[in-house]
Amino acid sequence: MPEIFINGQAIEARDDQTVMEVAREHGHFIPYFCWHPQLSVVGNCRMCLVEVEGRGLDIACNMPVAKGMQVFTNSEEVQAHRKAILQFITLNHPVDCGICDKAGECTLQDYHYEYSGQRSLSHDEKVRSTKFYNLSNRILLDNERCILCLRCTRFTHEVSKSMALGVERRGDISNIRPVEDRPLSEDPYSDNIVDICPVGALLSRQFLHKSRVWFLQPTPSVCPGCARGCTVQIWHRKPEWKLKALDPRQNENIARVTPLDNPAVNGPWICNKGRDLAQMFERARADEPMLKGRPVAVPAALDEARRLIGAARHPVALVSNWGSNEELEAFKDKLGEVFHCFVKQDWQPQPGERIEDDLLIRGDKNPNTTRARELFGHAEPDFKDGTDLVLVWGEGFDFAGLPPRARIIFLNSYLQPENGHADVFLPVSIQTERHGHYTNFRGTVSAFEPCFEKKPGVLHAEDLIKALAAPARGHP
Amino acid sequence: MKHLVPEFEKLRERFPAGFESSLVLPCLRRIQEDRGYVADSDIEELAVFLGVPQIQIEEVLSFYTQFRRKPIGRWHLQFCHNVSCSMNGAENVLAHVERKLGIKPGQTTPDGRYTLSTVECLGSCGTAPMMMVNDGYHENLTLTKLDELLQGLK
Repeated sequence: MPEIFINGQAIEARDDQTVMEVAREHGHFIPYFCWHPQLSVVGNCRMCLVEVEGRGLDIACNMPVAKGMQVFTNSEEVQAHRKAILQFITLNHPVDCGICDKAGECTLQDYHYEYSGQRSLSHDEKVRSTKFYNLSNRILLDNERCILCLRCTRFTHEVSKSMALGVERRGDISNIRPVEDRPLSEDPYSDNIVDICPVGALLSRQFLHKSRVWFLQPTPSVCPGCARGCTVQIWHRKPEWKLKALDPRQNENIARVTPLDNPAVNGPWICNKGRDLAQMFERARADEPMLKGRPVAVPAALDEARRLIGAARHPVALVSNWGSNEELEAFKDKLGEVFHCFVKQDWQPQPGERIEDDLLIRGDKNPNTTRARELFGHAEPDFKDGTDLVLVWGEGFDFAGLPPRARIIFLNSYLQPENGHADVFLPVSIQTERHGHYTNFRGTVSAFEPCFEKKPGVLHAEDLIKALAAPARGHP
Repeated sequence: MKHLVPEFEKLRERFPAGFESSLVLPCLRRIQEDRGYVADSDIEELAVFLGVPQIQIEEVLSFYTQFRRKPIGRWHLQFCHNVSCSMNGAENVLAHVERKLGIKPGQTTPDGRYTLSTVECLGSCGTAPMMMVNDGYHENLTLTKLDELLQGLK
């Protein structure tokens, strides 16, 4: 346990640590571009240089701790060299922040304001290179903005292992490039390189020129794409920046999804499916209850559902494994005695999707199978003779598999043909409209928060379950 | 590249297992020596042979300017135009050769006999100006010396 001193503070460090790691742990900020806690150290940006007494300047990211070393992270000499490094990094940078998606969350922009503030001192014209280079169907590359920190190439070599990116040529004409034999479009984790890019060189096509980031706010959520349950940030329009003219629908759309760093589940990464949650959540929604396809008000639908439940002799429930812990527990508590319950798999792997790997992706494409099975067992849905009522909660079940004479109560969020076939159809809210928790395949519980308001005709499943369990009104 | 595989196998034995990427450079040099340049098919075959991603080979090829991606002439004239040679009249001798062969650095004569290049220091500053013809050094160049030399290169 060597004792080192950072800006005069005595710190007990571990033998295997670098000065960068120790400084971060103890709240001494050292700026950096190329260093990343989950990637190997290359030390090519030189931004993290610090002064060590008796040794001069060196980079903190690649400096092992040594007993008694005196480190200064902000001495005059460090400040002067930082400024020089930033001058060097921005020598050929186009400084086109006004049209760059990264502006507002760009490390280079922040550091430039903080530590340099100079124009490029180059007498020569800035190096021109490719813009909007097509890296994959999801990502564009702007080589002029790139500062060659190599985080993206290291990510594809060390984390996603797709080996899809490399550096061609050298010096100020170096370019990040993909190769045909291992296309980036086949890397299901590719979009993480957009997040870890410290500048605006790697751009998400989905998010390209969609919104300035300061108009958006993140809401913590959980990706329901598989049983891993990665924690994510769902970015949507800030209430104070609500659009009134233009396209007000944008106020209720997911602008983008980014990982929420969580060492217990997913670290700083998520897969591309998690980025595409908007495609899942923004499908056409069912927003009014129906009786055999005929729209009715909520109380009438609830009454009819209660009447069916009261009259049934052998009711069966297919419980959704997209329900939150709270909803599943409410179902068990309120209706568990009434129904014979089975867990239903709402989602199956889609064609072309990666099924399972060693990094994050799990074969079970549902978020809460663990809690659902704990409460309702592992049995496959089975309809014994005499099943006269089936409550189907969630999508993905073929109604042809139901007993022909049974009445159907159907809880679903999306506009699907089955809705009209149910005796009682009740629309329920989706994850972006409610609070809740999911339990992932390892038993880790993660919380999600609402981003948007639900429509008036739509019910939260938890409220709906409680209402169904209440005694029927006006019927014997 | 196929016929070089036995040679590469021998080379591989000299490296510890798992160091396939260290073999990229020596293999590429051998390929260029053999073919005169590195073809696209060589990159693909070498990537498969070594089990490394193609980008790693492209990185090496594009980093070192000595690697060629296209065939060159029978005689490769590489003129040094670094400080010492420049001060001793490298531009002069180069201009003479350009006139004589009718090509600029980076070009090959239409008959495929000569390719002209300019390079940085070849470590022979004491005998500037100088050039390399294929693998041989020609030093203390003068215009007459050049004329004689070119006559000998058929």
